[in-house]
Amino acid sequence: MFGQGLLKGLQVTWGRMLSKKQTVEYPDEHIEMFPRFHGRFELDVDKCIACGLCANACPNKVIQIEKEKVDKKQYLTRYMMRIEYCLFCGLCVESCNKDALKFSNVIDMNQYRRSWVRLTLVDRPAPEPTETPEEETSAKAAKDEAAAGSTPGKEG
Amino acid sequence: MKTETYTLNLGPQHPSTHGVFRIILELDGETVVKATPVPGYLHRGIEKLAEARTYTQVIPYTDRMDYMAAMLMNWGYVAAVEKLMGIEVPERVEYIRVIVGELSRIASHQIAIGAMGGDIGALTAFTYTFRDREYVIDLLEMVSGSRMTFSYFRIGGVAADLPDEFFPATRKLLNEIPAMCDEYDDLVTGNEIFQARTKQVGIITPEMGINYSLSGPTLRGSGVNYDLRKARPYSIYDRFDFEVPLGTNGDCFDRFRIRIDEIRQSKRIIEQALDQIPEGPIMAKVPKVIKPPAGDAYAEIESSKGVYGAYVVSDGSPKPYRVHFRRPSFINLGYLGELCEGWKLADVIAILASIDIVLGEVDC
Repeated sequence: MFGQGLLKGLQVTWGRMLSKKQTVEYPDEHIEMFPRFHGRFELDVDKCIACGLCANACPNKVIQIEKEKVDKKQYLTRYMMRIEYCLFCGLCVESCNKDALKFSNVIDMNQYRRSWVRLTLVDRPAPEPTETPEEETSAKAAKDEAAAGSTPGKEG
Repeated sequence: MKTETYTLNLGPQHPSTHGVFRIILELDGETVVKATPVPGYLHRGIEKLAEARTYTQVIPYTDRMDYMAAMLMNWGYVAAVEKLMGIEVPERVEYIRVIVGELSRIASHQIAIGAMGGDIGALTAFTYTFRDREYVIDLLEMVSGSRMTFSYFRIGGVAADLPDEFFPATRKLLNEIPAMCDEYDDLVTGNEIFQARTKQVGIITPEMGINYSLSGPTLRGSGVNYDLRKARPYSIYDRFDFEVPLGTNGDCFDRFRIRIDEIRQSKRIIEQALDQIPEGPIMAKVPKVIKPPAGDAYAEIESSKGVYGAYVVSDGSPKPYRVHFRRPSFINLGYLGELCEGWKLADVIAILASIDIVLGEVDC
Protein backbone atom coordinates (compact mmCIF):
# COMPACT_ATOMS: atom_id res chain seq x y z
CA MET A 1 0.00 0.00 0.00
CA PHE A 2 1.38 3.41 -0.91
CA GLY A 3 1.86 5.54 2.17
CA GLN A 4 2.72 2.70 4.51
CA GLY A 5 6.26 4.00 4.93
CA LEU A 6 4.97 7.44 5.77
CA LEU A 7 2.72 6.04 8.48
CA LYS A 8 5.60 4.06 9.90
CA GLY A 9 7.68 7.22 10.05
CA LEU A 10 4.89 9.03 11.85
CA GLN A 11 4.74 6.18 14.33
CA VAL A 12 8.44 6.71 15.10
CA THR A 13 8.10 10.44 15.63
CA TRP A 14 4.94 10.08 17.76
CA GLY A 15 6.67 7.49 19.90
CA ARG A 16 9.65 9.77 20.38
CA MET A 17 7.47 12.73 21.22
CA LEU A 18 6.17 10.97 24.29
CA SER A 19 9.58 9.67 25.42
CA LYS A 20 11.99 11.28 27.88
CA LYS A 21 13.71 14.55 27.04
CA GLN A 22 17.39 14.10 26.17
CA THR A 23 18.72 17.65 26.37
CA VAL A 24 19.47 20.06 29.22
CA GLU A 25 18.82 23.79 29.30
CA TYR A 26 22.42 24.79 28.99
CA PRO A 27 23.21 27.99 30.84
CA ASP A 28 21.10 26.92 33.82
CA GLU A 29 21.99 23.24 33.78
CA HIS A 30 25.37 21.71 33.06
CA ILE A 31 26.23 18.17 32.20
CA GLU A 32 29.27 16.72 33.87
CA MET A 33 32.38 16.61 31.74
CA PHE A 34 34.55 13.54 31.43
CA PRO A 35 37.81 13.62 33.43
CA ARG A 36 39.88 13.84 30.25
CA PHE A 37 37.89 16.73 28.82
CA HIS A 38 39.97 19.36 27.05
CA GLY A 39 38.74 22.52 28.74
CA ARG A 40 40.50 25.63 29.94
CA PHE A 41 44.17 25.26 30.89
CA GLU A 42 45.44 25.32 34.45
CA LEU A 43 49.04 25.77 35.53
CA ASP A 44 50.37 24.70 38.88
CA VAL A 45 52.95 27.43 39.38
CA ASP A 46 54.82 25.63 42.16
CA LYS A 47 55.43 22.59 40.00
CA CYS A 48 56.43 24.51 36.87
CA ILE A 49 60.18 24.74 36.31
CA ALA A 50 59.91 26.98 33.23
CA CYS A 51 61.61 24.39 31.02
CA GLY A 52 59.62 25.40 27.93
CA LEU A 53 58.83 21.87 26.76
CA CYS A 54 55.16 22.77 26.41
CA ALA A 55 55.97 25.76 24.23
CA ASN A 56 58.13 23.53 22.01
CA ALA A 57 55.48 20.83 21.74
CA CYS A 58 52.82 23.25 20.56
CA PRO A 59 52.13 23.02 16.81
CA ASN A 60 50.88 26.60 16.66
CA LYS A 61 53.26 28.52 18.96
CA VAL A 62 50.42 29.30 21.33
CA ILE A 63 52.48 29.31 24.52
CA GLN A 64 54.79 32.18 25.34
CA ILE A 65 57.03 31.91 28.36
CA GLU A 66 59.17 34.56 30.02
CA LYS A 67 61.61 33.58 32.73
CA GLU A 68 64.45 35.04 34.76
CA LYS A 69 67.38 33.48 36.49
CA VAL A 70 67.18 33.96 40.25
CA ASP A 71 69.71 32.32 42.55
CA LYS A 72 70.85 29.87 39.84
CA LYS A 73 67.27 28.73 39.26
CA GLN A 74 64.88 29.58 36.47
CA TYR A 75 61.98 31.63 37.75
CA LEU A 76 58.79 31.81 35.69
CA THR A 77 57.64 35.41 35.40
CA ARG A 78 55.04 35.19 32.68
CA TYR A 79 53.06 32.35 31.07
CA MET A 80 50.75 33.47 28.33
CA MET A 81 48.65 31.35 25.99
CA ARG A 82 47.26 32.75 22.76
CA ILE A 83 44.13 30.67 23.09
CA GLU A 84 42.67 32.07 19.87
CA TYR A 85 45.22 29.95 18.00
CA CYS A 86 44.96 26.91 20.25
CA LEU A 87 43.95 23.60 18.64
CA PHE A 88 43.22 21.95 22.01
CA CYS A 89 45.20 18.92 20.88
CA GLY A 90 46.76 18.36 24.30
CA LEU A 91 50.37 17.95 23.11
CA CYS A 92 51.54 20.58 25.64
CA VAL A 93 49.85 18.85 28.56
CA GLU A 94 51.33 15.55 27.39
CA SER A 95 54.82 17.01 27.14
CA CYS A 96 54.85 18.40 30.70
CA ASN A 97 57.19 16.24 32.76
CA LYS A 98 56.26 17.88 36.07
CA ASP A 99 52.50 17.53 35.63
CA ALA A 100 52.16 21.29 36.07
CA LEU A 101 50.06 22.06 33.01
CA LYS A 102 46.61 20.49 33.00
CA PHE A 103 43.23 20.69 31.37
CA SER A 104 40.33 21.69 33.58
CA ASN A 105 36.71 20.96 32.71
CA VAL A 106 35.77 24.62 32.34
CA ILE A 107 34.00 25.02 29.01
CA ASP A 108 32.96 28.66 29.13
CA MET A 109 35.81 30.46 27.44
CA ASN A 110 33.76 32.83 25.33
CA GLN A 111 34.71 36.49 25.41
CA TYR A 112 33.24 39.61 23.92
CA ARG A 113 36.52 40.73 22.38
CA ARG A 114 39.26 38.85 20.63
CA SER A 115 41.92 40.52 22.76
CA TRP A 116 40.31 39.22 25.94
CA VAL A 117 40.64 35.62 24.85
CA ARG A 118 44.35 35.45 25.69
CA LEU A 119 44.95 33.45 28.78
CA THR A 120 47.63 34.72 31.14
CA LEU A 121 48.25 31.95 33.61
CA VAL A 122 51.19 33.62 35.39
CA ASP A 123 52.27 37.24 35.45
CA ARG A 124 54.56 38.19 38.31
CA PRO A 125 57.85 39.96 38.87
CA ALA A 126 60.95 37.97 39.67
CA PRO A 127 62.08 38.14 43.30
CA GLU A 128 65.28 39.91 44.24
CA PRO A 129 68.27 37.59 44.45
CA THR A 130 69.13 37.02 48.11
CA GLU A 131 71.93 35.43 50.09
CA THR A 132 69.57 33.69 52.54
CA PRO A 133 66.68 32.60 50.41
CA GLU A 134 64.86 30.40 52.97
CA GLU A 135 62.28 32.67 54.58
CA GLU A 136 62.06 35.53 52.15
CA THR A 137 61.45 33.60 48.96
CA SER A 138 58.83 31.37 50.48
CA ALA A 139 56.91 34.41 51.73
CA LYS A 140 57.32 36.04 48.34
CA ALA A 141 56.23 32.90 46.50
CA ALA A 142 53.05 32.75 48.56
CA LYS A 143 52.36 36.38 47.77
CA ASP A 144 53.06 35.87 44.08
CA GLU A 145 50.86 32.84 44.00
CA ALA A 146 47.97 34.89 45.34
CA ALA A 147 48.62 37.50 42.66
CA ALA A 148 48.82 34.83 39.95
CA GLY A 149 45.59 33.30 41.14
CA SER A 150 43.78 36.59 40.73
CA THR A 151 44.97 37.24 37.16
CA PRO A 152 42.92 34.60 35.32
CA GLY A 153 39.85 35.92 37.11
CA LYS A 154 40.24 39.15 35.20
CA GLU A 155 40.09 37.26 31.91
CA GLY A 156 36.99 35.27 32.52
CA MET B 1 11.29 25.67 -29.81
CA LYS B 2 14.73 26.91 -28.96
CA THR B 3 15.31 28.32 -25.50
CA GLU B 4 18.34 29.91 -23.93
CA THR B 5 20.13 28.26 -21.05
CA TYR B 6 20.93 30.21 -17.94
CA THR B 7 23.54 29.90 -15.22
CA LEU B 8 22.75 29.28 -11.58
CA ASN B 9 25.38 29.58 -8.89
CA LEU B 10 24.82 27.10 -6.07
CA GLY B 11 26.96 27.87 -3.05
CA PRO B 12 29.49 28.54 -1.58
CA GLN B 13 27.15 29.45 1.28
CA HIS B 14 24.24 27.17 0.45
CA PRO B 15 23.28 24.80 3.31
CA SER B 16 22.82 21.81 1.05
CA THR B 17 26.41 22.01 -0.20
CA HIS B 18 27.64 20.79 3.22
CA GLY B 19 30.06 23.64 3.66
CA VAL B 20 31.65 26.12 1.36
CA PHE B 21 31.36 24.12 -1.84
CA ARG B 22 30.30 25.90 -4.98
CA ILE B 23 28.81 24.43 -8.10
CA ILE B 24 27.96 26.43 -11.20
CA LEU B 25 24.96 24.94 -12.97
CA GLU B 26 24.00 25.69 -16.52
CA LEU B 27 20.28 25.00 -16.73
CA ASP B 28 17.86 24.45 -19.55
CA GLY B 29 14.60 25.02 -17.73
CA GLU B 30 15.09 22.79 -14.72
CA THR B 31 17.42 20.34 -16.41
CA VAL B 32 21.14 20.58 -15.84
CA VAL B 33 23.11 20.94 -19.06
CA LYS B 34 26.51 21.44 -17.49
CA ALA B 35 27.75 21.41 -13.92
CA THR B 36 31.11 22.86 -12.89
CA PRO B 37 32.18 22.19 -9.30
CA VAL B 38 34.40 24.86 -7.74
CA PRO B 39 36.17 23.58 -4.65
CA GLY B 40 38.82 25.48 -2.74
CA TYR B 41 37.00 27.89 -0.47
CA LEU B 42 38.14 26.07 2.65
CA HIS B 43 41.72 25.52 1.55
CA ARG B 44 44.06 26.03 4.49
CA GLY B 45 47.19 24.49 3.07
CA ILE B 46 47.46 21.66 5.57
CA GLU B 47 50.01 19.84 3.43
CA LYS B 48 52.24 22.90 3.38
CA LEU B 49 51.70 23.62 7.09
CA ALA B 50 52.87 20.10 7.81
CA GLU B 51 56.29 20.89 6.36
CA ALA B 52 56.89 23.43 9.13
CA ARG B 53 55.80 21.10 11.95
CA THR B 54 57.42 18.10 13.56
CA TYR B 55 55.96 14.68 12.75
CA THR B 56 53.87 14.60 15.93
CA GLN B 57 52.66 18.16 15.50
CA VAL B 58 51.04 17.29 12.17
CA ILE B 59 48.49 15.03 13.90
CA PRO B 60 46.15 17.82 15.10
CA TYR B 61 46.03 19.17 11.53
CA THR B 62 44.90 15.85 10.09
CA ASP B 63 41.90 16.09 12.43
CA ARG B 64 40.81 19.12 10.54
CA MET B 65 40.43 17.38 7.21
CA ASP B 66 37.49 15.06 7.66
CA TYR B 67 36.35 16.45 10.99
CA MET B 68 33.37 14.11 10.92
CA ALA B 69 35.64 11.10 11.33
CA ALA B 70 38.80 12.63 12.75
CA MET B 71 40.05 9.38 14.29
CA LEU B 72 40.35 7.83 10.84
CA MET B 73 42.23 10.86 9.53
CA ASN B 74 44.75 10.48 12.37
CA TRP B 75 45.10 6.83 11.57
CA GLY B 76 46.12 7.21 7.93
CA TYR B 77 48.85 9.69 8.77
CA VAL B 78 50.36 7.82 11.72
CA ALA B 79 50.25 4.60 9.70
CA ALA B 80 52.36 6.25 7.01
CA VAL B 81 54.95 7.54 9.50
CA GLU B 82 55.06 4.19 11.25
CA LYS B 83 55.64 2.50 7.93
CA LEU B 84 58.43 4.95 7.18
CA MET B 85 60.14 4.29 10.51
CA GLY B 86 59.38 0.57 10.55
CA ILE B 87 57.58 0.72 13.90
CA GLU B 88 55.76 -2.37 15.07
CA VAL B 89 52.60 -1.20 16.82
CA PRO B 90 51.62 -3.12 19.99
CA GLU B 91 48.64 -5.45 19.80
CA ARG B 92 46.48 -3.50 22.23
CA VAL B 93 47.00 -0.31 20.26
CA GLU B 94 45.73 -1.98 17.09
CA TYR B 95 42.56 -2.99 18.88
CA ILE B 96 42.06 0.46 20.41
CA ARG B 97 42.53 1.98 16.96
CA VAL B 98 39.97 -0.34 15.43
CA ILE B 99 37.44 0.41 18.18
CA VAL B 100 37.74 4.20 18.07
CA GLY B 101 38.06 4.17 14.27
CA GLU B 102 34.84 2.23 13.82
CA LEU B 103 33.06 4.46 16.35
CA SER B 104 34.21 7.40 14.28
CA ARG B 105 32.89 5.71 11.14
CA ILE B 106 29.50 5.25 12.80
CA ALA B 107 29.42 8.93 13.79
CA SER B 108 30.37 9.97 10.26
CA HIS B 109 27.75 7.78 8.60
CA GLN B 110 25.10 9.09 10.96
CA ILE B 111 25.84 12.57 9.67
CA ALA B 112 25.75 11.35 6.08
CA ILE B 113 22.35 9.76 6.63
CA GLY B 114 20.91 12.71 8.52
CA ALA B 115 22.29 15.33 6.17
CA MET B 116 20.98 13.52 3.11
CA GLY B 117 17.52 13.36 4.69
CA GLY B 118 17.76 17.00 5.65
CA ASP B 119 18.81 18.08 2.16
CA ILE B 120 15.92 16.27 0.56
CA GLY B 121 13.42 17.76 2.97
CA ALA B 122 13.21 15.15 5.72
CA LEU B 123 14.70 17.38 8.38
CA THR B 124 13.48 15.05 11.12
CA ALA B 125 16.08 12.52 10.01
CA PHE B 126 18.76 15.12 10.66
CA THR B 127 17.67 15.68 14.25
CA TYR B 128 17.35 11.97 14.94
CA THR B 129 20.77 10.99 13.64
CA PHE B 130 22.43 13.92 15.36
CA ARG B 131 20.87 12.99 18.66
CA ASP B 132 22.21 9.44 18.37
CA ARG B 133 25.56 10.68 17.19
CA GLU B 134 26.03 12.58 20.43
CA TYR B 135 26.12 9.27 22.29
CA VAL B 136 28.85 7.94 20.02
CA ILE B 137 30.80 11.18 20.42
CA ASP B 138 30.42 10.88 24.19
CA LEU B 139 32.43 7.67 24.04
CA LEU B 140 35.14 9.27 21.96
CA GLU B 141 35.23 12.23 24.32
CA MET B 142 35.67 9.87 27.22
CA VAL B 143 38.74 8.44 25.47
CA SER B 144 40.34 11.51 23.94
CA GLY B 145 38.90 14.55 25.73
CA SER B 146 37.52 16.20 22.60
CA ARG B 147 34.24 15.86 20.79
CA MET B 148 35.35 16.55 17.24
CA THR B 149 39.08 17.03 16.71
CA PHE B 150 40.39 14.19 18.80
CA SER B 151 44.17 14.16 18.12
CA TYR B 152 44.17 10.83 19.88
CA PHE B 153 46.61 8.83 17.79
CA ARG B 154 50.33 9.10 18.28
CA ILE B 155 53.16 7.80 16.17
CA GLY B 156 53.63 4.27 17.52
CA GLY B 157 50.54 4.20 19.70
CA VAL B 158 47.73 6.24 21.14
CA ALA B 159 47.70 9.16 23.58
CA ALA B 160 46.11 7.32 26.50
CA ASP B 161 44.66 3.95 27.36
CA LEU B 162 40.92 3.35 27.22
CA PRO B 163 39.35 4.34 30.56
CA ASP B 164 37.63 1.61 32.57
CA GLU B 165 34.18 3.12 32.20
CA PHE B 166 34.58 3.01 28.41
CA PHE B 167 33.89 -0.72 28.10
CA PRO B 168 30.45 -0.91 29.77
CA ALA B 169 29.40 2.36 28.13
CA THR B 170 30.39 1.09 24.67
CA ARG B 171 28.64 -2.23 25.11
CA LYS B 172 25.52 -0.41 26.21
CA LEU B 173 25.61 1.79 23.12
CA LEU B 174 26.31 -1.15 20.81
CA ASN B 175 23.20 -2.87 22.11
CA GLU B 176 21.18 0.15 21.08
CA ILE B 177 22.64 0.46 17.59
CA PRO B 178 20.36 -2.09 15.84
CA ALA B 179 17.32 -0.24 17.20
CA MET B 180 18.83 3.06 16.04
CA CYS B 181 19.34 1.73 12.53
CA ASP B 182 15.83 0.30 12.43
CA GLU B 183 14.54 3.69 13.45
CA TYR B 184 16.39 5.35 10.56
CA ASP B 185 14.97 2.71 8.23
CA ASP B 186 11.44 3.30 9.44
CA LEU B 187 11.82 7.04 9.41
CA VAL B 188 13.65 7.66 6.13
CA THR B 189 14.53 4.58 4.10
CA GLY B 190 10.95 3.31 3.98
CA ASN B 191 9.49 6.72 3.28
CA GLU B 192 7.88 6.72 -0.17
CA ILE B 193 8.61 10.38 -0.83
CA PHE B 194 12.28 9.85 0.01
CA GLN B 195 12.39 6.83 -2.28
CA ALA B 196 10.75 8.76 -5.10
CA ARG B 197 13.42 11.41 -4.77
CA THR B 198 16.39 9.05 -4.67
CA LYS B 199 15.61 5.80 -6.51
CA GLN B 200 16.96 5.67 -10.07
CA VAL B 201 18.51 9.11 -9.59
CA GLY B 202 22.18 9.86 -10.21
CA ILE B 203 23.14 6.39 -11.32
CA ILE B 204 26.85 5.58 -11.23
CA THR B 205 27.69 2.49 -13.27
CA PRO B 206 30.39 0.21 -11.84
CA GLU B 207 32.63 0.93 -14.85
CA MET B 208 32.40 4.69 -14.42
CA GLY B 209 32.93 4.35 -10.69
CA ILE B 210 36.16 2.47 -11.23
CA ASN B 211 37.29 4.74 -14.09
CA TYR B 212 36.86 7.80 -11.94
CA SER B 213 38.66 6.12 -9.03
CA LEU B 214 35.71 6.47 -6.69
CA SER B 215 35.88 4.65 -3.39
CA GLY B 216 33.99 4.06 -0.21
CA PRO B 217 30.19 3.84 -0.05
CA THR B 218 29.97 5.91 -3.24
CA LEU B 219 31.62 3.08 -5.18
CA ARG B 220 30.09 0.22 -3.23
CA GLY B 221 26.63 1.62 -3.88
CA SER B 222 27.23 0.60 -7.51
CA GLY B 223 27.89 -2.97 -6.44
CA VAL B 224 31.68 -2.95 -6.70
CA ASN B 225 33.01 -4.98 -3.81
CA TYR B 226 36.02 -2.91 -2.89
CA ASP B 227 36.61 -2.22 0.75
CA LEU B 228 40.23 -1.92 1.85
CA ARG B 229 39.39 -3.65 5.10
CA LYS B 230 38.59 -6.77 3.07
CA ALA B 231 40.50 -6.26 -0.16
CA ARG B 232 43.86 -5.47 1.45
CA PRO B 233 43.39 -5.84 5.20
CA TYR B 234 45.52 -3.33 7.08
CA SER B 235 46.03 -3.26 10.84
CA ILE B 236 44.15 -6.27 12.23
CA TYR B 237 41.01 -6.20 10.10
CA ASP B 238 41.66 -9.75 8.86
CA ARG B 239 40.75 -11.02 12.33
CA PHE B 240 37.18 -9.78 12.28
CA ASP B 241 34.12 -11.32 10.77
CA PHE B 242 32.05 -8.73 8.93
CA GLU B 243 30.37 -8.17 5.61
CA VAL B 244 30.71 -5.41 3.06
CA PRO B 245 27.26 -4.03 2.22
CA LEU B 246 26.79 -3.56 -1.51
CA GLY B 247 24.24 -1.71 -3.59
CA THR B 248 22.70 -3.01 -6.79
CA ASN B 249 21.58 -0.03 -8.87
CA GLY B 250 24.24 2.55 -8.05
CA ASP B 251 21.62 5.24 -7.46
CA CYS B 252 21.34 7.73 -4.61
CA PHE B 253 19.10 5.39 -2.66
CA ASP B 254 21.67 2.57 -2.69
CA ARG B 255 24.45 4.86 -1.59
CA PHE B 256 22.23 6.02 1.27
CA ARG B 257 21.08 2.55 2.26
CA ILE B 258 24.49 0.91 2.48
CA ARG B 259 25.65 3.53 4.96
CA ILE B 260 23.02 2.32 7.42
CA ASP B 261 24.15 -1.25 6.79
CA GLU B 262 27.76 -0.22 7.35
CA ILE B 263 26.83 1.09 10.79
CA ARG B 264 25.49 -2.36 11.59
CA GLN B 265 28.73 -3.95 10.37
CA SER B 266 30.86 -1.51 12.35
CA LYS B 267 28.92 -2.53 15.42
CA ARG B 268 29.89 -6.16 14.74
CA ILE B 269 33.55 -5.25 14.38
CA ILE B 270 33.61 -3.25 17.63
CA GLU B 271 31.92 -6.09 19.51
CA GLN B 272 34.54 -8.56 18.35
CA ALA B 273 37.35 -6.13 19.12
CA LEU B 274 36.04 -5.56 22.64
CA ASP B 275 35.96 -9.32 23.20
CA GLN B 276 39.46 -9.91 21.86
CA ILE B 277 41.34 -6.86 23.15
CA PRO B 278 44.50 -7.96 25.00
CA GLU B 279 46.34 -6.21 27.81
CA GLY B 280 49.64 -4.57 26.99
CA PRO B 281 51.48 -1.32 26.36
CA ILE B 282 49.82 1.51 24.47
CA MET B 283 53.01 2.85 22.94
CA ALA B 284 55.67 1.20 20.85
CA LYS B 285 59.30 2.00 21.56
CA VAL B 286 59.59 5.33 19.80
CA PRO B 287 62.42 7.85 20.30
CA LYS B 288 61.48 11.16 21.90
CA VAL B 289 62.49 13.12 18.82
CA ILE B 290 60.99 11.44 15.79
CA LYS B 291 63.49 11.45 12.96
CA PRO B 292 62.57 8.92 10.30
CA PRO B 293 65.30 7.83 7.90
CA ALA B 294 65.36 9.57 4.54
CA GLY B 295 62.82 8.00 2.23
CA ASP B 296 59.11 7.93 1.61
CA ALA B 297 56.10 5.87 2.60
CA TYR B 298 52.48 5.66 1.58
CA ALA B 299 49.81 4.12 3.76
CA GLU B 300 46.11 3.96 3.13
CA ILE B 301 43.09 3.09 5.18
CA GLU B 302 39.39 2.82 4.51
CA SER B 303 37.89 6.00 5.92
CA SER B 304 34.18 6.62 6.13
CA LYS B 305 34.22 8.41 2.76
CA GLY B 306 36.53 6.04 0.91
CA VAL B 307 40.21 5.20 0.56
CA TYR B 308 42.23 7.72 2.52
CA GLY B 309 45.95 7.71 1.96
CA ALA B 310 48.88 9.61 3.38
CA TYR B 311 52.20 10.00 1.61
CA VAL B 312 55.11 11.15 3.74
CA VAL B 313 58.58 12.03 2.46
CA SER B 314 61.43 12.37 4.91
CA ASP B 315 64.84 13.92 4.44
CA GLY B 316 66.08 12.70 7.80
CA SER B 317 65.23 15.87 9.69
CA PRO B 318 62.62 16.09 12.50
CA LYS B 319 60.16 17.73 10.11
CA PRO B 320 58.55 16.06 7.11
CA TYR B 321 59.92 17.14 3.76
CA ARG B 322 56.58 16.66 2.06
CA VAL B 323 53.20 15.32 3.12
CA HIS B 324 50.39 14.53 0.75
CA PHE B 325 46.94 13.27 1.58
CA ARG B 326 44.72 11.33 -0.78
CA ARG B 327 41.35 12.61 0.33
CA PRO B 328 38.48 10.40 -0.79
CA SER B 329 35.85 13.18 -0.80
CA PHE B 330 37.90 15.20 -3.25
CA ILE B 331 38.40 12.33 -5.64
CA ASN B 332 34.74 11.26 -5.39
CA LEU B 333 33.81 14.81 -6.34
CA GLY B 334 35.68 14.46 -9.63
CA TYR B 335 32.74 12.65 -11.15
CA LEU B 336 30.10 15.05 -9.84
CA GLY B 337 30.09 17.39 -12.83
CA GLU B 338 29.42 14.63 -15.33
CA LEU B 339 27.03 12.84 -12.98
CA CYS B 340 24.73 15.83 -12.60
CA GLU B 341 24.25 16.36 -16.34
CA GLY B 342 20.76 15.58 -17.49
CA TRP B 343 19.20 15.57 -14.05
CA LYS B 344 16.85 18.13 -12.61
CA LEU B 345 18.02 20.88 -10.29
CA ALA B 346 16.50 19.21 -7.23
CA ASP B 347 18.27 15.96 -8.11
CA VAL B 348 21.63 17.73 -7.94
CA ILE B 349 21.05 18.24 -4.22
CA ALA B 350 20.23 14.55 -3.76
CA ILE B 351 23.28 13.47 -5.76
CA LEU B 352 25.62 15.78 -3.86
CA ALA B 353 24.25 14.57 -0.53
CA SER B 354 24.59 10.92 -1.55
CA ILE B 355 28.31 11.33 -2.32
CA ASP B 356 28.75 12.61 1.26
CA ILE B 357 31.51 15.17 1.00
CA VAL B 358 33.19 17.04 3.81
CA LEU B 359 34.66 20.29 2.68
CA GLY B 360 37.48 20.24 5.17
CA GLU B 361 38.70 17.15 3.41
CA VAL B 362 37.97 18.26 -0.16
CA ASP B 363 39.91 21.49 0.16
CA CYS B 364 42.43 20.27 2.74
